[in-house]
Amino acid sequence: MKIKTFRRIAQTATLIAIFLIPLLNVFELYFIKGTFYSMDIGDAAIADPLAVFQSMLASGTINPYMIGSLIIPIALMLLLGRVWCSWFCPYYFIAEMMEKLRKLMRMKPFKPQYTDSYPHKQAKYRYLFLLVGLLVMSVIGVPILNLISAPGIISSQALVLVKFGYVTFELVFVAVLVFLELFYYRWWCRLFCPTGTFLSFFRMKRGMTVRKVADECSNCLTCVRTCPMMINPMTMGESGHCNNCGDCVDACPDNRKKDTLKFTFR
Amino acid sequence: MRNKFTEMFENLLNSNPFKNYFKKNRLRPPGAVDEEMFMELCIRCARCIEVCPYDSIRRADLYEKLQIGTPYVFPDDKACYLCMRCMKVCPTGALNPRLTEGQDVRMGLAVINQDTCLNFKYYKDEMEGVSMSGTAQLCSTCYNVCPYTDSAIVLEKFILPVITDKCTGCGICAEKCPSTPKKSIVIYPEGMPIEEKAGFYGRKHRVQAQDEKKPEGALHGEELLNQKQKIDGSDAKPDFEYNMELYETKDEWQNQ
Ligand code: SF4
Ligand code: SF4
Ligand code: SF4
Ligand code: SF4
Ligand code: SF4
Repeated sequence: MKIKTFRRIAQTATLIAIFLIPLLNVFELYFIKGTFYSMDIGDAAIADPLAVFQSMLASGTINPYMIGSLIIPIALMLLLGRVWCSWFCPYYFIAEMMEKLRKLMRMKPFKPQYTDSYPHKQAKYRYLFLLVGLLVMSVIGVPILNLISAPGIISSQALVLVKFGYVTFELVFVAVLVFLELFYYRWWCRLFCPTGTFLSFFRMKRGMTVRKVADECSNCLTCVRTCPMMINPMTMGESGHCNNCGDCVDACPDNRKKDTLKFTFR
Repeated sequence: MRNKFTEMFENLLNSNPFKNYFKKNRLRPPGAVDEEMFMELCIRCARCIEVCPYDSIRRADLYEKLQIGTPYVFPDDKACYLCMRCMKVCPTGALNPRLTEGQDVRMGLAVINQDTCLNFKYYKDEMEGVSMSGTAQLCSTCYNVCPYTDSAIVLEKFILPVITDKCTGCGICAEKCPSTPKKSIVIYPEGMPIEEKAGFYGRKHRVQAQDEKKPEGALHGEELLNQKQKIDGSDAKPDFEYNMELYETKDEWQNQ
């Protein structure tokens, strides 16, 4: 079975959950509640680490409620890497669908040439964007990076749609991002998204990572071409950019003969 | 200087769908820390909005500047029923989770407009002796619906509703006030100390609040009950005078 199949199941389930959770709440079932900014399942609180970090920064305080809601996402991050992005984030799912649509329409997006230095260049963009965002945020003193968090917007719009029956202007922002996906290959997740960038700080080498376990492979570079984050899966699996989507593991032709490119825990 | 034009302008702002900012006397949900801190802490996660069983909490829109996505209560439409659920789910402490008692909530302060309140009108009519319009009616709805009757809201002279400093600002009174065309109670927000933030509508009433708030001396609870029980007509003498002629004089007149 392909990893992608499991991933699609998880993504579809998340997409359904976005609408199901507010619907359950409308019917007065409050077991799960919240959006992708912050959510709780029973008594376990989960919050977007960037959102909580922003409110720490803006208010200059740290309280136990903040810490409490950070434990689960950070533990997940350390253990399984950035699975949030590729397995659950609704924006990622939509972006992948857009890619399918683009292939259907035979459009060629702008995809930069892969070179060995390219991953570092794109990393600089991401970190710079996050840094500038955090600076602007601290000047204003309001957690404004939440306003451009794609998964948060999508889920909170689903909430207002289900609960109050309207959508707000924020949805246009997401629509623009999605539309641009048609023209520039995976631009938001690779170069800008502050949520994903902040998550990648909690990447640990010991957690789940893609590694080349065989000493040699046919060096076809299929994995490099498939990687949606435009890194080299053979060497850079443990970097913060890899979101553990497993597309490279699926694509590697050598895997069929013997384990070459695999998820490992070390 | 208030005239017809300023009133029209205000009404325009109040009814413009893009300017909710001026229209709404928005309260933060119960337990909210003060407004400035709230804006820093709230991550707009909408958990409090989801958990509210009465749909009292709304989500601010883009029109409302950086407030976008933050929760508020607009008691004129839907008050908070003090079920104390929302503060428990807040992940950042923007709503204080340690608050558990409804009576400790201070979301705002109710202010009664004495010109339009039906009970005040009734009282005035009674004082003048005649009902000019013939429509004076006793209401006391706010007194009856308040969850802290006789402590947050008391009836002065057994008829005039007066808000005390025990008012939680939940707004149930404002939601239920039947007076038309405008409700006679506004809640003005606790977390928004800067006047502009409450909009025109709130500012107008705040002026009245200053000379109206006199909770001291007002009776409530046990005291008021005793006072009420003391009402007893059996040995009280009416102290008005008969203004009709006495019988003898009538005789005299007849004799003439
Ligand atoms: S980078 Fe951002 S938008 Fe992309 S998958 Fe991760 S959280 Fe979602
Ligand atoms: S206390 Fe209950 S009714 Fe009031 S705003 Fe919170 S959840 Fe809604
Ligand atoms: S639960 Fe707290 S952080 Fe979330 S929207 Fe409500 S007040 Fe803001
Ligand atoms: S409900 Fe409104 S009209 Fe009735 S007594 Fe209270 S303030 Fe006056
Ligand atoms: S007076 Fe009105 S706002 Fe104050 S506690 Fe009573 S019902 Fe709530």
